[in-house]
Amino acid sequence: MPGGGAGRDGIPRSRGGGARVREGAGPAAAPSVPGPPAAAATAPGKKITARLKRTLPVRGPQAPTLSELMRWYCLNTNTHGCRRIVVSRGRLRRLLWILLTLSAVGLILWQCAELLMNYYSASVSVTVQFQKLPFPAVTICNINPYKYSAMKEYLSELDKETKKALETFYGFSEGKTKVRRSVDEWNSTGSDFFQQIPLLKVEDFSRTATDLHSGQKRKIEGSVFHKDSSIVNSGDSNDIIGFQLCDANNSSECALYTFSSGVNAIQEWYKLHYMNIMAQIPLETKEKLSYSADDLLLTCFFDGLSCDKRHFTRFHHPLHGNCYTFNSGENGTVLSTSTGGSEYGLQVVLYIDEADYNPFLVTSTGAKIIVHDQNEYPFIEDIGTEIETAAATSIGMHFTRSRKLSKPYSDCTETGADIPVENLYNKSYSLQICLHSCFQKAMVDSCGCAQYAQPLPVGAEYCNYKKNPNWMYCYYRLHEKFVKEQLGCQQICKDACSFKEWALTTSIAQWPSTVSEDWMLRVLSWDKGQKLNKKLNKTDLANLMVFYKDLNERFISENPANTLVILLSNFGGQLGLWMSCSVVCVIEIVEVFFIDSLSIVMRRQWQKAKKWWNDRKRAGPGKPPQAGDVERQGHDNPVCIDEDLPTFNTALRLPLPQDSPLPRTPPPNYSTLRLETAFTEQLPDTLELGPH
Amino acid sequence: MNLKKYLVRALHRLQKGPGYTYKELLVWYCDNTNTHGPKRIIKEGPKKKLIWFFLTLLFASLVFWQWGILINTYLSYNVTSSLSIGFKTMKFPAVTVCNANPFKYSEVKHLLKELDRLIEAALERILQPTPGNVSDSVSPPLDLQLWNQIPLVLIDEHDKDNPVILDIFETNQTAGDNETAASSETAGDNRSSEGNETTTYGETTVGNQTTAPPAPANTTTEEKKYKLAVKLCSHQGSNNCTYRNFTSAAQAVTEWYILQSTSILSKVPLHERIRMGYQAEDMILACLYGAEPCNYKNFTQIYHPDHGNCYIFNWGMDEEALNSSNPGAEFGLKLILDISQQDYIPYLSSAAGARLMLHQQKSFPFLKDQGIYAMAGTETSIGVLVDELERMGYPYSDCTMNGSDVPVKNLYSQYNTSYSIQACLRSCFQNHMVEICGCGHYMFPLPKGVNYCNNEDNPGWAYCYFSLRSSIKQRQICIDSCKETCNDTQYKMTISMADWPSEASEDWIFHILSYERDMSTNVTLDRNGIIKLNIYFQEYNYRTISESAATTIVWLLSSLGGQFGFWMGGSVLCLIEFGEIIIDSLWITIINVISWCKGLKQKRARARYPDVPPTVSELVEAHTNLGFQHEPMGALPRGKALPPEPGTPPPNYDSLRVQPLDVLSPDSDAETK
Repeated sequence: MPGGGAGRDGIPRSRGGGARVREGAGPAAAPSVPGPPAAAATAPGKKITARLKRTLPVRGPQAPTLSELMRWYCLNTNTHGCRRIVVSRGRLRRLLWILLTLSAVGLILWQCAELLMNYYSASVSVTVQFQKLPFPAVTICNINPYKYSAMKEYLSELDKETKKALETFYGFSEGKTKVRRSVDEWNSTGSDFFQQIPLLKVEDFSRTATDLHSGQKRKIEGSVFHKDSSIVNSGDSNDIIGFQLCDANNSSECALYTFSSGVNAIQEWYKLHYMNIMAQIPLETKEKLSYSADDLLLTCFFDGLSCDKRHFTRFHHPLHGNCYTFNSGENGTVLSTSTGGSEYGLQVVLYIDEADYNPFLVTSTGAKIIVHDQNEYPFIEDIGTEIETAAATSIGMHFTRSRKLSKPYSDCTETGADIPVENLYNKSYSLQICLHSCFQKAMVDSCGCAQYAQPLPVGAEYCNYKKNPNWMYCYYRLHEKFVKEQLGCQQICKDACSFKEWALTTSIAQWPSTVSEDWMLRVLSWDKGQKLNKKLNKTDLANLMVFYKDLNERFISENPANTLVILLSNFGGQLGLWMSCSVVCVIEIVEVFFIDSLSIVMRRQWQKAKKWWNDRKRAGPGKPPQAGDVERQGHDNPVCIDEDLPTFNTALRLPLPQDSPLPRTPPPNYSTLRLETAFTEQLPDTLELGPH
Repeated sequence: MNLKKYLVRALHRLQKGPGYTYKELLVWYCDNTNTHGPKRIIKEGPKKKLIWFFLTLLFASLVFWQWGILINTYLSYNVTSSLSIGFKTMKFPAVTVCNANPFKYSEVKHLLKELDRLIEAALERILQPTPGNVSDSVSPPLDLQLWNQIPLVLIDEHDKDNPVILDIFETNQTAGDNETAASSETAGDNRSSEGNETTTYGETTVGNQTTAPPAPANTTTEEKKYKLAVKLCSHQGSNNCTYRNFTSAAQAVTEWYILQSTSILSKVPLHERIRMGYQAEDMILACLYGAEPCNYKNFTQIYHPDHGNCYIFNWGMDEEALNSSNPGAEFGLKLILDISQQDYIPYLSSAAGARLMLHQQKSFPFLKDQGIYAMAGTETSIGVLVDELERMGYPYSDCTMNGSDVPVKNLYSQYNTSYSIQACLRSCFQNHMVEICGCGHYMFPLPKGVNYCNNEDNPGWAYCYFSLRSSIKQRQICIDSCKETCNDTQYKMTISMADWPSEASEDWIFHILSYERDMSTNVTLDRNGIIKLNIYFQEYNYRTISESAATTIVWLLSSLGGQFGFWMGGSVLCLIEFGEIIIDSLWITIINVISWCKGLKQKRARARYPDVPPTVSELVEAHTNLGFQHEPMGALPRGKALPPEPGTPPPNYDSLRVQPLDVLSPDSDAETK
């Protein structure tokens, strides 16, 4: 017999039996509204109220006290468990049930918290789709960035210095055929490079270094950095060479970089100067110094059809010179393949002019390629694949697309717009771009100029000695910080949420085969045409095939594991399993434990306050407490507590309108009255059965 | 009689639901249902009643809405993937090894002799800077029959808008009478101009000297002026020709040679072609699987149109597939192959090496797609990771278990191999080719009763083939009609290479291998032909992504239950209760209708009755005095149950009410017994 608070509130007033009273749902409504005025209503009014009472059997629990309310709640709630507490006999059993119920509540809370905490989890799904696939952009570079012959005017000084260094340190001089420049020239020219960054031979024990140029020994100041720190130095310390970088403003602050091998030292040293020189050459000139598309590409074949340099887009890479991107999507169209296999991919023969290589800058021969998306920037120096000459490299691709869920599921970025690092590359966001941009920004901020290998931020220019004599020291310091994650770039940059990946299977075959070498080279020389003065050599050629192994696209995506519907279902399952509870129960709990208990407490307080007030007002002992007692008795009286209190009133009055004061029928007691009311409903039925 | 009584009683009980009016029924339902909301509606005060009514309604609609979402989710057949990585004993993959060159040149020389002479002469003409140098030492006259079927032409692009097409041989044979063609499309687009081209035969007064291409060195502009193209006509001598031009002469020559040689070789019967290819004992010099020696006899021979004889290790066709239960090179397959590079066909394949592929047992090796090269003079080590994808079939994803539901006739089934998407695509292409061109392409298996294309029987086959091959529509049809397999296995390879044999060991290795193969004390092998292969499982040899249904029927039921329970505390029993109420209300409706009909009938009958209707007082008396009853109203025969004594006082309501209880009680007693 569950009932709302309103009904319960109405009980004290219902002696008047007015439906009007029941409307007072407010718990603060005065409970002491006297009944008599309502009872004094006219006969039809009484009739209506009587009918209302019958048809709307709104009976709230008699719960003037909190414990009563609890008891009522436990007996009438929809949740299981509570009832057992009240119904059980014996203290032990009751305690047991209290414990069980409480543990069930605890379990529910725990499980629901668990469900809530796991709400932001993702499930991974892998779909494979067989379809026409967009062909990726393929960027091809010669390993050597610029034609050595064309670079002579810029690099001759540096080369001379390098050769001299080689001779001084190792007593090595190049074979007679290659040394065209006279040796005695060396002494006459001013050696800028050595003055700026001297190459040093380090004697570890004495911590003295021999300057290559002047030959004088000097004490090493500052810190010594071993570039190849992982290699344990052996005893022959006189083999260690390196170079010293000093802060130009404060010459006492120097850092000495040493290398266990002279090869690394010379190359690193050369590279520093090379970048310094290249930074001063404008882009247009550099593009001219590098290879043209005609130089690099001998033949091109895509999807069974011939293609030429118009399908390639030039892209100037600071370290690799001119690179050419096939299918860059620049003119809006992206080529696609609808057949897998080596015949239907991209086949190019590259001309690698080995004789025109820079001997110090690059020491390997071949080309570098990278397969990437049209919107991606090709980080060819980081993730390029090297192609061998005199061989056919076949690269089978397998396409995988992945997508992660962004916040709140994982910490990735969709577009990179929320990363506080300006994207210096004109391409879509990637982690690499972010890191490089971040470093470049830090470089510009702290060194005042930009590093050569990365794009220029607005308003900055590349570092060179003339303007920024300090940049190398600054760069090395900064780079060290960057590697040690002290710049904060690694923390700022997030990985991209979606990325495309082409898994490559690379294999190499001999090409051209011994028997086809002859005609192949002849025909290719003819292809090369007038620009070639000599016959091609097979070590100048590289054959490259890039194709889809199959047209299966794997799409790995994360999906939210939970939706709100599923979460609610799980809640419902938990609530139902432990306590057979539902939202209705929750509302009940809120109603009983908050609204009703509050109202009871308030009422109690109100009564107390009133009593106190009355006591004070009358200041006479005796009378007022009596009235209070009467009222309390009214509440505590079991008869009054009986829910049928209003019906009792009506029952008392009922015989009057019936106007049949039959003496033989005894005055009905409650139980028979109940029975009768039950049958008033059944009576018409039985009568109705008759005609049927 | 007894039965009838019982039935009547049963009917009575059935009819007597929880109430006899809709309202009663509803109130009863709300009072007694296990669903949490409705009880509140009838138990609360009027204002709260309204609130509860709307709350219940809201919850019910929420439940139904979310049920809709859940059922929708279930019907979308989502899958969840689980990934497992590790090492387990697995079937060693089938390993197919082929030579990149399909036939021994020494064996096919007699067939290709004419072709080689032609291409050599053509190259001579193309590459010679000055025409005067043309050596007339080609003593036997060239067989131009072969040439004319599919000629190579030079396109002179000095004048961009009006390129001149020069036939390489005809210029020399018929002096001054060369063929020029104005092909409008060749200039701008590097792709072969498709469709009809009007080939005009113009009388040009170009002398013999100038028709031969002038030295390319003369040209100073950047643009290359001469291009080589393959002329393809729908049939010989017709005007319906296209020119497939190439930016590179090397590409053009290779393409042309492949076309011509396939035409020649397609006429050779299969067993002859197998004989001309590389034999297992010549090619596979040494074999070691784990610790067990194996030899060429462990390999299954298969004829592959691209690569001639291929040999498959562990194909699992006749015997059980071998298992490998250890990672590492020591427990894998070690092979030494000889590809004898000297015997390559010079113009057919320019890359030299072995072609190999790892694939599943009982599947056909599609080397052009998935194969890798192994370079001569090196040791190639291949670490294998088996990447499996196990998918659920229909309705979870659109894939096929064994290809039986794919509408393409699988031509590779003649090899007894399982379905694969590559097989389907190739079969689809070949079927189209047979349909349109009337003959099958040499590279794919033949359907029954069809021959391979060759120049004699099908002069326009090359034209037909290329137009079909470049047709996007045809490709799309094939892509749409083929389905991928549900279980996709890929072998991820980690390839590394080293020089082999080392210079120090070179001598003895060559000696032993030569002796074993040819029984000769001389070295018959060299660095250019010998290949060592190691194929083995990596430390983690499998990565399996398997799908399982994300939404099962159990999931659906528990979610539905969860929703219903969450909002209304309901269960299936509540639904049954609800159904019961609906049935009850239907009964009420039926009863009402019947009583209404009866009432109507009675009214009619009464209307027809000649007697005057009973007056009100009569009726009142009939009710009050049971002894006095109106005759026609005696339709209630049950009146006899009532005591007919007129002396009894009229019953008051109370006693009347009690009476049915007495009537009913024996019923319930009887029932309990």
